[in-house]
Amino acid sequence: MPKIISCYTYRFRNMALLSLILLFSGSMMAEENVVAVVHYGTPVTTPISRIRLSSIFSMRLTTWSDGSAIKVFVLPDDNPLNSSFCKQILKLFPHQLRYAWDRLVYSGTGQAPVILSSTQEMENKIANTPGAIGYLPKEKKDDNVAILLVE
Amino acid sequence: MLFKQISPHHYKYRLFRPIPIAHIFTVNPRTIARKLGLIFLLSFSLNTNCLSFELFDSVQIHGFVSQTMFLTSGNNMFGPSISNPSFDFTELGINGSWSPIPNLLLSMQIISRRAGNGYDGSPNVDFGLLDYSHYFEDDYKIGFRAGRIRIPYGLYNDTRDVAFTRPSILLPQSVYFEGTRDFTISADGLLIYAELLKPWGNLTLELFGGYNRSNELDAKFSFLSLPGNLEPNPGFSGRLNYESYDASLRFALSGGYIPMDYKSSSSLIVGPTGTLIPTPTKGKLTFTPILLSSQYNTDKWTFTSEYSPFFINTSGLNTVVNPFADSNNFAQSYYFQVAYRFAPKWELMTRYDAMYTNSHDQNGKESELKSQYLIHQLIKNTPNLSSLEAYNLFQFASPAHSHFAKTLTVGLRYDISPMMMIRAEYNYINGTAWLPTQGNPIPGETKQYWDMFGLQVSIRF
Repeated sequence: MPKIISCYTYRFRNMALLSLILLFSGSMMAEENVVAVVHYGTPVTTPISRIRLSSIFSMRLTTWSDGSAIKVFVLPDDNPLNSSFCKQILKLFPHQLRYAWDRLVYSGTGQAPVILSSTQEMENKIANTPGAIGYLPKEKKDDNVAILLVE
Repeated sequence: MLFKQISPHHYKYRLFRPIPIAHIFTVNPRTIARKLGLIFLLSFSLNTNCLSFELFDSVQIHGFVSQTMFLTSGNNMFGPSISNPSFDFTELGINGSWSPIPNLLLSMQIISRRAGNGYDGSPNVDFGLLDYSHYFEDDYKIGFRAGRIRIPYGLYNDTRDVAFTRPSILLPQSVYFEGTRDFTISADGLLIYAELLKPWGNLTLELFGGYNRSNELDAKFSFLSLPGNLEPNPGFSGRLNYESYDASLRFALSGGYIPMDYKSSSSLIVGPTGTLIPTPTKGKLTFTPILLSSQYNTDKWTFTSEYSPFFINTSGLNTVVNPFADSNNFAQSYYFQVAYRFAPKWELMTRYDAMYTNSHDQNGKESELKSQYLIHQLIKNTPNLSSLEAYNLFQFASPAHSHFAKTLTVGLRYDISPMMMIRAEYNYINGTAWLPTQGNPIPGETKQYWDMFGLQVSIRF
């Protein structure tokens, strides 16, 4: 009797392992689930270089090419979309981006991005703020904002 | 009689006998009030993700609050912390910034720091500056800062007072030495900077010239233990920083030249045991710190190491209470640190930290002899000294263990929310080189081997 149980346990374990591998390879193959978005009419050409984009989100670059101010909007640190955007698009770890903001804010050498609570709020802000940049889930095909592709 | 019986103060007629609050906690009620204050802060921030304010377009307000408890053996750390916990370490800061036009930033931060009897919590302007920069299309940036500026030094000096940005309760004391904090934190002057942002990484050069803030401070409470004032002379500092694109690699070279004049109106100080000790009225003090920094980051791990050769030149300050008996002193410090984010919101860290105030005398024996000799001379030259006074004076000789410190740290951090964090930490220390003198005024009474346990709660917005 104990033998049969252990047999089932093994089979279950194998299945679990297989599904885990499938899940992992699935996520490896899957495209990014998040995109950078800007306010319509922002003077920026798409695709943008990754360096330029990370300079914007790390708050080092503060103006668009015409000299107008860049308004950066992000979601809270512990929001999964924030983590996806950092890792997939900027290719940065979220804690490093936070460290860059802290260094600016607490040494008086820069400002932090505006933190919003939901993707809905993000969508509204980007749509209504000239010079705004942020990110949204890819499936959210909205005509109120312009998608910014990355080189 | 009847009145007495119905008096609400009569224990017989109360449901519960009132127990003095102090008996429940075995610490004084003032501490309890602070604890309650923290609980209030805790409840207020738990369910909030972000509290920073954008008052109107381009104005931001941010800040931080940290409360630390230290429990030590042997020596006091920020208040009487031996055997009973000390809550005398509170850090508070609030800053505002305004960007009237895109490339221009005006910012100011006020800090209140309570740390034992060295800092009483009175607020002071930490930085107040104007920053102007221009970003060129070829991905480089040039700018300047004028006013009171945070000195660019190593990996942590820029945000030294914000517990969130520190790897542990206190920064590694070998390199970010409490005794020289006031000379290296912020300064008044002009800084120019250039930043290159390329696929191979970011390269930043910052050069500062100006006056440090030593004139605002009481030299009595600095590491010199002297009664006079330090007046700053023009000094320089700079940092060259490299960061790979993904910030996985960081290297920095920082350096400074900080000259100061020492002036005192009295030639005698009264030691804690009542003995009068002669001190100089005039002198010079120059710091020349150099710092090499490196860091490697992965998603879960951070490896950090910094090494600092530190030159301290003094003239006219040879006194029995000066821990640097040599006029040209070469101090050395370094640390190795590993942080491991083993689960979301959790971080485990460990560090080995070493400091030698005189690298030619790492075990401190020579310095001890020199100090004892100076005191011996003083006793010989002072007529009518009683044997008790002579004994008391000898307690001021700096012991060998005050010339080095080796610290082993283990700490755990938990981020309750992106704006609130708690941490616990244990330090095992051999030596007292970085021990603040304020809480431990008599060198002969300090202990070589000691432990330091700390708890910290911090909020930022």
